[in-house]
Amino acid sequence: MYDSIVIEDRKKPTVTLVNNGFANDTESASRSKGMPVLRYIPTSVPCEASIMEDIEAGVDGAFEAMVTALTKPLTEEEKFPKPKEIEKPARIIFKGSLEEVNRFFYQRGWTDGFPIIPPTEEAVADMLTGTDLPPDHLLGKLESRLGKATIERIAINAVMAGALPTYMPVLIAGTKLLLESERGFMGFTTFGFSTGSWAPFWIINGPIRNEIHVNHSSGAFSPGNIANAAIGRAMGLIVKNIGGVRKGVEDMGVMGNPMKYSMVIAENEEESPWEPLHVEYGYKKEESTITVSYPQTYIQHWPYGSDAEGILRAVVDHIIRSMHYTIIFTPPHAKNLAREGWTKEDIKGFISGYARIPGSHFNNIPIIGGGRPGLYKGKISARDTDTVALIRDPRFIRIIVGGGPGAFIAHTVGGGATPGMKQTQKIELPSNWDKLAKKYKDIVPTYAKY
Amino acid sequence: MTNKANPEYEVLSPWAEADPIPFRGISPRLEGLAGKKIGLLRNTKRAASPIMNVIKRRIKERFPTAEITEFANLRPNEVIIEQEAKVEFEDWLKGVDAVITAFGD
Repeated sequence: MYDSIVIEDRKKPTVTLVNNGFANDTESASRSKGMPVLRYIPTSVPCEASIMEDIEAGVDGAFEAMVTALTKPLTEEEKFPKPKEIEKPARIIFKGSLEEVNRFFYQRGWTDGFPIIPPTEEAVADMLTGTDLPPDHLLGKLESRLGKATIERIAINAVMAGALPTYMPVLIAGTKLLLESERGFMGFTTFGFSTGSWAPFWIINGPIRNEIHVNHSSGAFSPGNIANAAIGRAMGLIVKNIGGVRKGVEDMGVMGNPMKYSMVIAENEEESPWEPLHVEYGYKKEESTITVSYPQTYIQHWPYGSDAEGILRAVVDHIIRSMHYTIIFTPPHAKNLAREGWTKEDIKGFISGYARIPGSHFNNIPIIGGGRPGLYKGKISARDTDTVALIRDPRFIRIIVGGGPGAFIAHTVGGGATPGMKQTQKIELPSNWDKLAKKYKDIVPTYAKY
Repeated sequence: MTNKANPEYEVLSPWAEADPIPFRGISPRLEGLAGKKIGLLRNTKRAASPIMNVIKRRIKERFPTAEITEFANLRPNEVIIEQEAKVEFEDWLKGVDAVITAFGD
């Protein structure tokens, strides 16, 4: 779609064929790039179609409209589209009861479906105690709407999500990470919008993990911890309300993904035998960071045994075809691996070396994505006996330590940055951090015995 | 917030401000496709190439004097002019009168 706009800007008429279901997305994309009158034809060609009868029927049904779109003279509106009205919303957008506020926000598409905490002036001011940056400080403009990611707007969405002020440094870093993420296929600009329903997965490292109680142990991905729940939720609202990425309009995820509500974990650095993820990525151990990837799927499985062979053979057998992998080992598994001499690099090398499939599987599959084998560049067919690695580059694998007692191993599988491109952001703490962290440190669940 | 028994909340908007993007129009259309050079631009999605093959056949049937050339954006979700293929693409574009694009979705 964006290529069509580039072509129109070069004074060549275009028409774009899109699947019927992508009409809203097409219009939103063309408006966001300043060309709301781009001519496109919705067709009945199914997405990713391979049945020629369907393709021919769809093209034939659209052909006359296509010819017309290239030849029918422009209307005045198409020559000179009316300028977009400048939005000047009142600072107080609504006044009402808890139920009325929730209904108002929900009906405008500003929530994730769960009830929100009303972002009053008082609540937002309290949230802003989590940063030294002024409310109007602009971090950048978030795709696709190029909404202004100001500190105050981040704080408003944080309040709605139920975040504590101590999460603000994490949310600011997370927003920076999205803003500075790799453009194109491996970054937010694809995974936030794609049909693949990729969910942002946030890993927190460094001292802040324990100060704000990000769970890294039992049931880390399950509901029940404010930090794990609210940080991911707030980032989802930031993407929606600042970036303007709404499902079915800009986010064209076909199936959707429950991991989009919130997928946040801390690394259990204390019980890891290896260097933590952020140190591996070049940060100091005493620094705090947030790291993102975009898994589509979450897999859990048992090892075949608790030794290296039992653990790693099971991991390899559960690798599925994708692009980017985070493997989460429990502390006992990690220690057993380390005791047998396995470093993180050794493990990545083993997985990428031994997770293989018959090369013939790729003969008829378009080669896309950094994690897939660059098989023969389509020029040489595989022999029946050939195998190829499912993961072309071991740097597409991350190893972290987390999870509670028990023997399960977890994989997140999907998208993520090209090796060497930005995927981690340092978390900057405000000057009053120690006092702030102390104020909220006792907010933890205490379960009654029964 | 007021009245504790029946609290009322005055709330701020989570919807970010955005600078208005100046809208611009599209290019003048052709008088007809006969004798014109039509470019077909696709991406790498599964349906994109067969869609273009059908379009190519239909154009040749309907407008036998039209010339057709093709270009593919081989990098998913990346605008061509931000890639190394920019120069090749710009040259190709100069040689066509109009472009039909299809991206398989």
